[in-house]
Amino acid sequence: MVWTQIHEPHRNEEKQVKGIYNDYFGDFGGRYVAEILRTPLDELERAWRESMDSDAYRSELQDLLVSYAGRPTPLLFAQNATRSCGGAQIFIKLEGLANTGAHKINNALGQALLAKRMGKGRIIAETGAGQHGVATAAACAKLGLKCRVYMGEIDIRRQRPNVFWMELFGAEVVPVVSGSKTLKDAINEALRDWAGSSTSTHYLIGSALGPSPYPDMVREFQSVIGREVEEEMRRLGLEVEALIACVGGGSNAIGFFAPFLGREKPRLVGVEAGGRGSGTGEHAARMGGFGTPGIVHGYKSLFLLDDDGQVGKTHSISAGLDYPGIGPQLASLGREGRIEFTRASDDESLAAVRFFASHEGLIFALESAHAGAAALEMAPEMPENRAIIVHMSGRGDKDLFILAKQLAGKGWRDFLLQEGREDEA
Amino acid sequence: MKHRLMTHMVAYYPDGASSVKVAAAMIDGGSTYLEIQFPFSDPTSDGPAIQTACTQALENGFKVRLGFELVSSIRAISDIPIFIMCYGNTLLYSGVEAFIDRCAQQGVQGLIVPDLPFDYDEGLFRLSEKHGMSAVPVVAPTIGPQRLESILRTEPRFLYAALRKGITGKITEIGDDNIGFLRRISTAAGKKEIRILAGFGISHREQIDLLATHVHASIVGSAFVRTIIENGGKGVYAAVKHKMEELI
Ligand SMILES: Cc1ncc(COP(=O)(O)O)c(C=O)c1O
Repeated sequence: MVWTQIHEPHRNEEKQVKGIYNDYFGDFGGRYVAEILRTPLDELERAWRESMDSDAYRSELQDLLVSYAGRPTPLLFAQNATRSCGGAQIFIKLEGLANTGAHKINNALGQALLAKRMGKGRIIAETGAGQHGVATAAACAKLGLKCRVYMGEIDIRRQRPNVFWMELFGAEVVPVVSGSKTLKDAINEALRDWAGSSTSTHYLIGSALGPSPYPDMVREFQSVIGREVEEEMRRLGLEVEALIACVGGGSNAIGFFAPFLGREKPRLVGVEAGGRGSGTGEHAARMGGFGTPGIVHGYKSLFLLDDDGQVGKTHSISAGLDYPGIGPQLASLGREGRIEFTRASDDESLAAVRFFASHEGLIFALESAHAGAAALEMAPEMPENRAIIVHMSGRGDKDLFILAKQLAGKGWRDFLLQEGREDEA
Repeated sequence: MKHRLMTHMVAYYPDGASSVKVAAAMIDGGSTYLEIQFPFSDPTSDGPAIQTACTQALENGFKVRLGFELVSSIRAISDIPIFIMCYGNTLLYSGVEAFIDRCAQQGVQGLIVPDLPFDYDEGLFRLSEKHGMSAVPVVAPTIGPQRLESILRTEPRFLYAALRKGITGKITEIGDDNIGFLRRISTAAGKKEIRILAGFGISHREQIDLLATHVHASIVGSAFVRTIIENGGKGVYAAVKHKMEELI
């Protein structure tokens, strides 16, 4: 397989992609933080810019991405899925095959290496599904950094296997019990920690959100995904109609879409959590009229807010997609129309997990299954000589407990009860 | 000599009616400035005490509209200068100018919005001035000389100095570090008439004694939340008033 150079900064003249240093994306973005966080952010921006120009840094990261993360990840022609759907050829970018099971490792390695260059020996991170926590904990184990991960109590319950892996990697997992006890509250706690600890600590944000320079930085670290896809498209001579990715905070989507943002084609489709309905608190779709401009977690974007401007409740079966905000660049590109947004429900996503498991022998993470569900809907509408590429941002090992409860029913429950009993005995 | 204090309270904490009593106790206890925090669901600059207060206030049904009603009931009993502290999202949601205009109509003297610094302020500083109010910039000990200079150049009437890193709540030891920081501000301010308010982790009289000669007023916040949690059962007015006597 061919493989593209990592971190060749793509300097694109077109409107949204001004370059790699943006701060604002249209109306969104910015650095809305308390003064105490300003100095570390300014410092981080300087260090990041300097590292992007450093051959030593780039080659060290490149080595890690190849020999440790397992890049490049494959692009699979999903022949059985295509035959079953009829219509466009379905390709799947198997990002879940990267070490630690999701795209999160690209960003975790990039930032952890940067932290090391900055002389910061301690890393803090937030996590929702736990994939970013696992990636960060692994990167810290590999690079010899101390690691603390904030995780909402509800997410700890939903994604228990990942807690175990994080701890095995030597990270300290701190349960967050404030607010909604999910990802947004874990970010609050990480920001509070950083306000007191920034001299020795780097805050390794896991998605393309937060105060600048994070949205730019995370996109650049994740854009390796898009560059590999572009290379494969060229090699295989694919006529790609659409790229489809799920959108939580937006890191897998923006990385996958990055090389194509300044072009008119292919269609770029972001899939949000449709949850169990379109009522307040039943989903986590911020686009399509649900989100309101707000300033939360240090950046301006579209957020799900209640009728008094408080951050609203969300729901999704997947812990990685129930965040009430969306990365500023995605919000801006959505407004402009370059990225289309759609939703997949909890049930459609579960059905997609089942479909790709039985047709392709792949276990999609519940997050990624939202993109899979959208692809299953889109493919039949398109001609056979066209292709669509679905981003399998992660694999679903972490979802074993949720999936088995939903899909295996009583047998699984009996097994858990028996294990519990034997453990006690 | 009595100390000048800016006393902080969370609107609708411990509940709507009691928060008027909290304000009354602070005013009767000799507070110079009242800082009223409008609760936000995600108060990232605040420690556990104020977070708890905000969560409870929201559960008690706080709305921005009710916050302004609270301000006007306090106005009815006192002409103490009132500052509203809130997060940027609260302004943005109401419309920045609409919010500021509303404050001005209620006779609010100033606004403290930690996540709207002067260079990402959504118009806060300019619009406050336009409506005859003071937006209060917040500075922290980590601030570099150039940035401090840029803030002082705007000649704010008040400046909020956070006395240490971190978030609100944890006790701050007053020593060379933070006194040095306050001196640095005064020196940089030169002849400009800027009133320095200093806070974060102030809960005892001794701290206020040490700060007194370096600041215009000391800010006390989380300590009152803790007072209400610990002694509120006996009546918030008495508890807060007692704490005021201890501090002032
Ligand atoms: C596999 C996977 N995909 C997607 C996401 C959503 O995050 P983002 O939108 O930043 O890619 C997560 C988050 O935890 C994830 O684990």
